Amino acid sequence: MTMRAQTFSKYWRLLTMSWQDGLVYRMSVLMWRVRRFLAALMSLTIWSTIYASSQTGATPFGYTQSAMISYIFLVSLMQNIVMATALNGLAQDVYTGQISNQLLKPVSLTGYLVMQELADKLKNTSAMVFEFAALFLIFKPELVFPTVGIVFLFAVWTVGAIILNFCISLLFGCLGFWSPETWAPRFLFYTLLQFAAGQLFPLDVLPTLVQKIMYATPLPYLSFVQTQLFLGKLDGAAQLRHSLTLLVWILVLGLLAQFIWKKGLKDYDAAGR
Amino acid sequence: MTDTPLISVKNLSKHFKVYKKQPGLWGSIKSLWHREYETVKAVDGISFDIHEGEIVGFIGMNGAGKTTTLKMLSGLLYPTTGTPSVLGYNPWERKAAFQKQFALVMGQKNQLWWDLPAIETFHLNKAIYEIPDEQFEKTLNKLVKLLDVEDIIQIQVRKLSLGQRMKCELIAALLHNPKVLFLDEPTIGLDVVMQKTLRDFIKAYNKEFGATIILTSHYMDDVKELCERAIIIDHGKKIFDGKLQDIIDKYARNKILSLVFSKSVTKKDLAAFGTVKEFSEDGTHYTATLLVARKEAATTASKVLSKLPVVDVTIEEPPIEAIIREVFSKEKAKK
Repeated sequence: MTMRAQTFSKYWRLLTMSWQDGLVYRMSVLMWRVRRFLAALMSLTIWSTIYASSQTGATPFGYTQSAMISYIFLVSLMQNIVMATALNGLAQDVYTGQISNQLLKPVSLTGYLVMQELADKLKNTSAMVFEFAALFLIFKPELVFPTVGIVFLFAVWTVGAIILNFCISLLFGCLGFWSPETWAPRFLFYTLLQFAAGQLFPLDVLPTLVQKIMYATPLPYLSFVQTQLFLGKLDGAAQLRHSLTLLVWILVLGLLAQFIWKKGLKDYDAAGR
Repeated sequence: MTDTPLISVKNLSKHFKVYKKQPGLWGSIKSLWHREYETVKAVDGISFDIHEGEIVGFIGMNGAGKTTTLKMLSGLLYPTTGTPSVLGYNPWERKAAFQKQFALVMGQKNQLWWDLPAIETFHLNKAIYEIPDEQFEKTLNKLVKLLDVEDIIQIQVRKLSLGQRMKCELIAALLHNPKVLFLDEPTIGLDVVMQKTLRDFIKAYNKEFGATIILTSHYMDDVKELCERAIIIDHGKKIFDGKLQDIIDKYARNKILSLVFSKSVTKKDLAAFGTVKEFSEDGTHYTATLLVARKEAATTASKVLSKLPVVDVTIEEPPIEAIIREVFSKEKAKK
């Protein structure tokens, strides 16, 4: 077997095992999916009701009915493939010494975590296909569809958001090297993220100053800018600006995560092993 | 065995900063704004060399620094001072070429995927260690038969007993035929039969592959049966390194005389020859155990034989556990 084939086989095996592992607790998987489905269902119900009770052609917050419904679908899509992560417990794995298993083996820890994350996203995405089909049947929505070029850029930005979220997860994971108190900051961040990534409502309904503060952070790049791109709200200049900003955030947080992990591994005490 | 050591450790130390919490609720509240830390020297400047094919027993009390040393030799921990060399590599660099040649087995933790059958981890390790198909099949079949686990490798790991899990752990660790094996309490929590099975297996593995093994264990039987050489660690420092027999020669002050009599004798009669450790008589059986000065054991035995109605006598070394206790108590007295 060539070296490339061996590497592929190694990571393929990791991916399939992580996927299998994620499906062991069927009830947990089912409940998690029901929760995501209900969140989308409730949002769609509320906004459908708001638009149904408004005058025909009304555009609350500058969103037409089809734009808002599309926004909800997009947010749900981004939640499933970007924000949902298998690495929420990484800091705990570091603190409890669970990562020792990977550190002892001839496999890259980053590669291992990427496969774990990918398996989780595949699991979510495959469930999401059926959930979206059900939502389409229930609401029969009219959606906004952009040009092929925009769809391509949307896909690129979504991949960028996945990488950005991975870097953020690595940074939170580092906490485990120095403290067992890893859940509180993660939870606080998650709450802020729901808001700043536009998961609760579109950020452009907020005052300009608040929007500016949000854009000074990487959070809108995890979901919101992608939705705005898809809905045709960004011109060429904005697309270029956001592309560069997303790239810079990835580089900055990626390098920072790499630096802190290197430092953290020197302080790692492989607890419990 | 070559002259170049396979494992070489010089002045190796690992210090940890630990938080000292004051007791009680007030201590917890105070710790919100002020915490006291202290530096614990888990390993404190130890040095040793181990040659190819050796099985070395690491002996020490809880917290002596045995596991920390193994973690440094495996590349998990970054040493505070010193650079160990294992198979010519600096373990901390965690090079794939090094990692493919060693394994660390921990009795209290597992590398097996908890929710999946052990066979899945075996296949994962095959891919990770890039084990050729033929070697994998051959080694797996052999290990599975040797440890008698054919029926359980398809069952979820969390459903297995501790003994079954340890056997599967060993298989997962040995599939890539490591040249160096670090075994940390591999028999902990196992029943005596299972302990013996694992010991026999480790011995056979060492013979067949010429593997170099470092073993830590609380069960002296493990050390006695497997290791010719022992390294004793106390409070992070090495206090003995040599043959197990040398520990006995150096630290055992007494020998044990086990006596069987044909008729009743008194404790007073026995006390004239040494310290009476056990004494029992039930009207038909009369036995006693005497502790006698090591150098005079043979002379004393002959005196007892001539003066008392002895029908059987054996002279034994004290149990290794007792000798180790002696070593630690002497070290403690020195401090």
